[in-house]
This record gives sequence, structure tokens and C-alpha cells, in this order.
Amino acid sequence: MENNAYPTLPLKNTVLFPHLVLPLSVGRAGSIAAVEAALSSEDKLIAVFPQKDPRTDEPAADDLFRFGTVGIIKKMVRSEDTVQILVQGIERVEQLEMVQKQPYLSLKIATLSEPSDTGTEIEALHRTVIELAGKMIELVQPQIQVGIHHIISDVEKPLHQIYLLTSILSLDFDKEKELLAAATQVEALQLMHRYLNHEVQVLEVRQKITSTAQTEIDKKQREYVLRQQLEAIQEELGETNPEQAEIKELRQRMEETELPELVRKEVEKEITRLERMPSAAPDYQLTRGYVELALELPWNKTTEDRLDLKRAREILDEDHFDLEDVKERIIEHLAVMKLNPEAKSPILCFVGPPGVGKTSVGQSMARALGRKFERMSLGGLHDESELRGHRRTYIGAMPGRIIRAIRRTGYQNPLLMLDEIDKLGRDFRGDPAAALLEILDPAQNAEFHDNYLDLPFDLSKIFFVTTANTLDTIPRPLLDRMEILRLPGYSDEEKQHIARRYLIGRQIREAGLSEIQLSIPDETLSYLIRRYTREAGVRELERMLGRIARKVATQVATGQTQPVTVTPQDLVELLGPERFFAEEMRQQLAPGVAAGLAWTEAGGDVLYVEAALLPEGKGMTLTGQLGSIMQESAKAAQSYLWSRAEELNIDQKTIRESGVHIHVPAGAIPKDGPSAGVTMASALTSAYAHQPVRSDTAMTGEITLSGLVLPVGGIKEKVLAAHRSGIQRIILPKENEKDLREIPEHVRQSIQFILARRIEEVLAEAIPDLNR
Amino acid sequence: MATYFSSMKQVFINSEEQAYQESVWQPPADIYRIERGWLVKLDLAGIRNEDIHLSIHEQRLVVQGLRRDWIVEAGQQYYSMEIAYNRFRRAIEFPAPLEQARITTKYRDGMLLIWLEVTSQEGL
Repeated sequence: MENNAYPTLPLKNTVLFPHLVLPLSVGRAGSIAAVEAALSSEDKLIAVFPQKDPRTDEPAADDLFRFGTVGIIKKMVRSEDTVQILVQGIERVEQLEMVQKQPYLSLKIATLSEPSDTGTEIEALHRTVIELAGKMIELVQPQIQVGIHHIISDVEKPLHQIYLLTSILSLDFDKEKELLAAATQVEALQLMHRYLNHEVQVLEVRQKITSTAQTEIDKKQREYVLRQQLEAIQEELGETNPEQAEIKELRQRMEETELPELVRKEVEKEITRLERMPSAAPDYQLTRGYVELALELPWNKTTEDRLDLKRAREILDEDHFDLEDVKERIIEHLAVMKLNPEAKSPILCFVGPPGVGKTSVGQSMARALGRKFERMSLGGLHDESELRGHRRTYIGAMPGRIIRAIRRTGYQNPLLMLDEIDKLGRDFRGDPAAALLEILDPAQNAEFHDNYLDLPFDLSKIFFVTTANTLDTIPRPLLDRMEILRLPGYSDEEKQHIARRYLIGRQIREAGLSEIQLSIPDETLSYLIRRYTREAGVRELERMLGRIARKVATQVATGQTQPVTVTPQDLVELLGPERFFAEEMRQQLAPGVAAGLAWTEAGGDVLYVEAALLPEGKGMTLTGQLGSIMQESAKAAQSYLWSRAEELNIDQKTIRESGVHIHVPAGAIPKDGPSAGVTMASALTSAYAHQPVRSDTAMTGEITLSGLVLPVGGIKEKVLAAHRSGIQRIILPKENEKDLREIPEHVRQSIQFILARRIEEVLAEAIPDLNR
Repeated sequence: MATYFSSMKQVFINSEEQAYQESVWQPPADIYRIERGWLVKLDLAGIRNEDIHLSIHEQRLVVQGLRRDWIVEAGQQYYSMEIAYNRFRRAIEFPAPLEQARITTKYRDGMLLIWLEVTSQEGL
């Protein structure tokens, strides 16, 4: 073979190694010609060289790799336009020069002696390579049971083994070329070792990825199959998947419910989301809750208003004694609704002391109107989102209390009572009063926006009624939106009526007694009201009656069968000692003391202003927790007296040379307001002049430095309090005359009212001996 | 993954081909016991006498040589080829040394016949 010219077969992408058999499909004209030439020779030898660039179509010597293999054509078959041959490599060769290029490539070649170097390095490398090759086969196709050792067992020479390995493991074309070029066994082994090492690492990573993915897929498939089975079983049993059933039910409800277009769209969207969500998803319950709320809300479901004025009046009278103003206002509203159904619902605010029946009036109104009644207390509410709801992105989000209340009633036009609107708090979480502004503004609340619902809801059909004990703490803008109806306290006589009509019967029933078993005569009742309660409303009175009823019930339960009639003397035994020493009207007043009338949240009260001169003292001392307005009243009163000392028969020297101390019991209760002005002036005058004020007279009114008496509020409560205390004369500012109409007839009859324009008139009436 | 083993085809192209073999081909042989020793029959068609070599080493008989292709007709062109050409070699081990054996050969109808006759009582 030495230095002969051979027909040459260029190979694309593959290398023929010595001793290996390679099937080749030959298609290029030049290559076929080369094969023909080789076949027509005696020995069937052909030179096989890898091409440098597989894309070269008619390669010359330069386009071929320097090293190649001489091979023998073992078999040949011709098919349509290609020739299939089986070539067996014999030995490595190196190209020397090109003999011809046409019709086929022919090269002169030199045979390269087979390397036969030995040594421990070769041994070590050889073993490692075999091991790695085994690993690789295991990674690639573990199902091949034939071990690497089995395949290469009858090959002795390490180099030949490597050549054989190339046929088993698919190596890069470039790596195969490098291997063919290796001149020594060591070099070939090192190359092989490097390739295998890299290959094994890649395969290991790949296997890891594959097995992880496989596990994932297996798990998912398993779940899927199980779910399919579950569904099949459920179908067989006639059961359906609970979540699906739930969603189906929601859908059905949506179809059946009459919803505004906007709401329908939103609900549909959410239901579709639900369908795609696994029931274990954190959003699932939230979304379901939302859909349920949207479906349950009365978007346009209203109750029919009963606009029978006569019947309404009857209901109101039946439930409540007196409260004429309130009842009239409600009847008016019904009348308006009858004539103009489109009229905006009013927003009423009942102001009055506790226990006067603000909330129960609301209930009666609902009954009279035939509307659903729902009440919620705003006392201590300081988080805006309580009213307006939380955005749904928050954990534990809920709709606001307004929307929740509407949901409870199930109608769009309930009578919604917002209790204790004067006790709204406010802090960093927003100002609930501001949220209420929107809720209670007829111009805005037709499209009320709850954060949770996130859809406009019409509140304008709701009849809002709010209650408060005082208007002082209600923010002005909120006050502007409401119509104020005052429910002043009740007089003793009114309380008697209320007790007779409602309370006694109710407490007797509560205690499980019958009307026959317990009777409370009028005398006892009035004693109870005067000595055991002091309040504007009737709550304490009802509690006392309840106690009496329970004591009697105890007696009945222990076997007493006689009906009980409670006398005033029995009260001490039943209720303990008297609590209030009636009428605190001091029988004799010392100079410097005057009775004033105060308005408190619990109704009215009589309070005495005491002034004492401090000879050698300086200035004015004020005690009894007086607010700044009251302190100013005291100073104004003193200055007025000082400036008019001569006219009032007061010794100026006394004023100049002695300090004065004003004290208002009870010292523990904070007091404020301008209405004690006249009382201060009377007390000071009485102290300076050393003449007592009439003990049967109480007074109220604001004063100015020039001596005018200005009108004040809460006249009815103050008069009732005075009446309770046994006061017979009351000095009032002239401009409060109009307020006297509100006072019950029997009280008006028993009290003498003196209307004053100036302080001089007050003093003349209060201190009869002043000008003597 | 299968690509790794695409080249396995060349290893097991068919049962005759082995993954690794000498590049020479092996003629098939029949071996007979005869009264005086052994008769070996080798399928060696189309081979010239001068291209066959026999050699004996101890108990091994080696037959090797060359099958040359020749042109039967001018202008012929291969359509397919299955006959093995070029070098062949066949080594056969016997249970006894053969140095003393008398060897005769005959080439008949494309078969090479080799008689290995032993005169001594030992072996064979």
C-alpha cells in the first residue's frame, strides 16, 4: 500500500477508523466514480478521508483532512441514484499529494504505523476510559443489558478499543477527527478520557433534569387520572363535584336574579374566575363570598310603603306617649310620599337624653311605614373602613356595615337607624364622619361606593334615622345634612303615664307574673319616680319596676298566693333606701347662693352657685371644674357688678378690698356653658350685698357686660328639672318665651315664669331685699 | 437518545459481520476425521494456486492468501457485490502437534482440500 495512489472517498460528518466496518451511502458523482474504480481493482481498496467542511461539494485534496483510513469495500449494492457500500477500515494513512481530481479524486498516501506505546499511564487511562464508557452507556440506554466489557472483550489493544467505542458512543465529528489524528495510544486515550468525562457530566445533569420533570409529570398525571376516576364515580353515584355544583348554583342564581347590567357583568366575570380556580386557592373563598354578596344584595327590591296616615298615627300613639313633634314630622313625611313617591327620603336626627325612646321611635316609624327596620350603633366607631368596607385585596376583607345592614334586610329601602352618631371616634384610620357625609347626602348616596363591593349601590331610598345625646360633638357638615328633632326628657307626670301604659305591664310580663298578682298604685309610682330615679328618660324607672316585679315574683315562686299591692313604704324594703333626696331644693339659702338651671345629657338639673367673700383676699377663685366659658361668665358678672355697684346698692369698697371665691357643686362633674351667667351674677350680688336669694327661685340665661340677658337652649329640660326639684319660680331670658310652649301644660301651671331682658330685672326678682 | 447508537448498525450490520475483526476475511471450513488423521475442506473459489499459503505451527494450521477480482467482460459494471476479495486467513487448532504430519492438498471445483496424515501413534 505504501505510497500508492488510491481512489479517494471524501466523507461528510463521519470518520472511518481502522478495523471498523462502516456502511456508507454514496451519492456524489465523483464519489461513485471513486467507488467504481476501487471495485474494479483486484483488491477493492479505497482511501477514505473526512472533509474539512461538509458543505464542500467537490472537494480537492486541500478540502480533506490530513489523516484518513484505507479501507476495503466488503459489500456493495446499487440503488436508484446512490451506491450503498460496506467499508472496513484497515489502517491509518496520511495524504501526500493529489494525483487527479476528475473523474474521481485520487490521492497518493503514506501508511502510518500503528502506535504501540505502553506504560502505567496507558493502563490507568485505559481503565478509567472503560469505566466512563460503561457509565455513559448506562446513562444513555440503561435497558441495554450488554455491558461495555462484553462489547470490547475480544479486542485487546487499547487503541482498538477506543476506535470501537467511537462506533458505540456518538462523538462529534471534530472529536473523531482528533482521535484519528492521535499518533500514540496515550494521546488517543487522553482525548477519549476528556470527551467521556464531559459527556458523562452532561448526561448526569440531563438525567437529573429529566427525572425531576418525570416525577412532576408522573404526579400530575396521577392526579389527573384519579380526578377523572373520581368524576366518573361521582357521576355514577349521581353526585357532582361540590365546587362545580356550587359554581353551577351561583350561576343559576345569577340567571334568576334581576341585576343591573353593570353588576351582572361583574358577577359573571367573578364566577368565570371561580370556575378556573382550584377550590384550595386562597382567593377562592373570598371570590365566592363576593359573588354571594353581590347576588344577595337587593339591587332593586323594595318594600311597598304603607301610606295610610291614620293607621300610622295609631301605631305611633300606641307605641309612644307624647313626642308630638316627632310624630307630626313622620306623618308629614308619609303625606309627602303619598303625593310624590319620587321624593328623597329624609335623614332625621333624634337628639335627646338617654332613655327617652329615640331608638324605639325609629322602630315604630318602620312599623308605621311598613319598612324593614335595621339598626347599627356608631358609638366608638373610628375606622372608616368599618362603614365603607375594605378593599378586596386585604386579607379578611369585608363589606362595610351599611352594605351588610342592607344585605340583612334584603330590601333597598329599609329604615336604617344609626345610633350614637355623636359618639363617632376618629383616628389615623380615617374619619368615619367623612364617610357618613357621603352616605347621608341625598345628592351623593344614589351611587354609594363600598370599597369591598366596588360597585355603585343606591342608598337614596333608605330612610335614615340617626340618634344622638348631644349635637356638640357632631361635625358641622354632618349636622347640616340632617333634620334635627329633639326628644327632651319627660316630666314626672309624663313618666307616670309612660310607666302606666308601657313599663309596668312589660316588667310584670317579663317577671312571669300576671297583672292581678302585682299592682302599683299612682302614689307609689310617683314616690318611686321622685325618690329612686333622677333621669330625663325612663330607663332607670323601668329597671326599678323590674326589680319590684322580680322581688314579687320571688315571693310568688316561694308559695305566696296573695296578690301584692306595693305601697310607698314597701319601696324601702324592695329597693333599699331612697336614692335621691327629693328636690334638693334648699329650704333656706345663705347669702351668696343662687339656684341655677343646667342642661345635661341626662336632661336638666338644678345646680347651686355659691359665692363667698374673702376679706383681705385678692382676685377671684373659681372651683368646681368650671369650663372656660363659665369662668368668663363669672368674670363678666363681677365686672358688671363692679361697674354698677352704686345702682345696685353694693359697697364698692367691699368689692375692691376682698377677694371672692365661686364654687359650683357637684365638684366632680365638669360644667360649662354660658347659661349660668345670671346665676353667677345673682350669687355674687347676694354675697356682696349680704342679702339671700329667694330659695323657691331658679334661673338661667347668658349675660353681657352691659347687663343684657341673652337666650339659652334646653329650656324644656331645665324647666322639667326645676319642676322635679320643687322650684316654683323660674327666671328666664325674655327671648326664651317661645320655648315655654313645649312645656307640658301641668308643669306650666305649677310654675311662675319671670321673663327678664336685663340683669337688674333678674336681681330684682331673685333678691327681693336688695334695694331696701 | 437513539442517535448514540445509530452507528451500532455498522457493528451489527448482519450476523456475519462482527464489530471488530481483522480486515482479512475468513473462508468457511469443514473438518473431517479420517483414518490416518484429518481432512480439512475450505471454500476458496476463484483463487489462483500461487495466492494460497499454508503454514503449520505446533498444533495450528494456518491457511492464508489473496482472492483477486478479475474482469469477466469488457465494460462490465458492478451492480452489487457480496463476495469477499483481497486477503483471507484461516487458522485451525488441532488437539495434537502437526509438525510431523504429512500434508497433501488438492484444489477441486473451488474447494481446497488439505489432508493432514500422521504416521506415528501419538496425537491425532
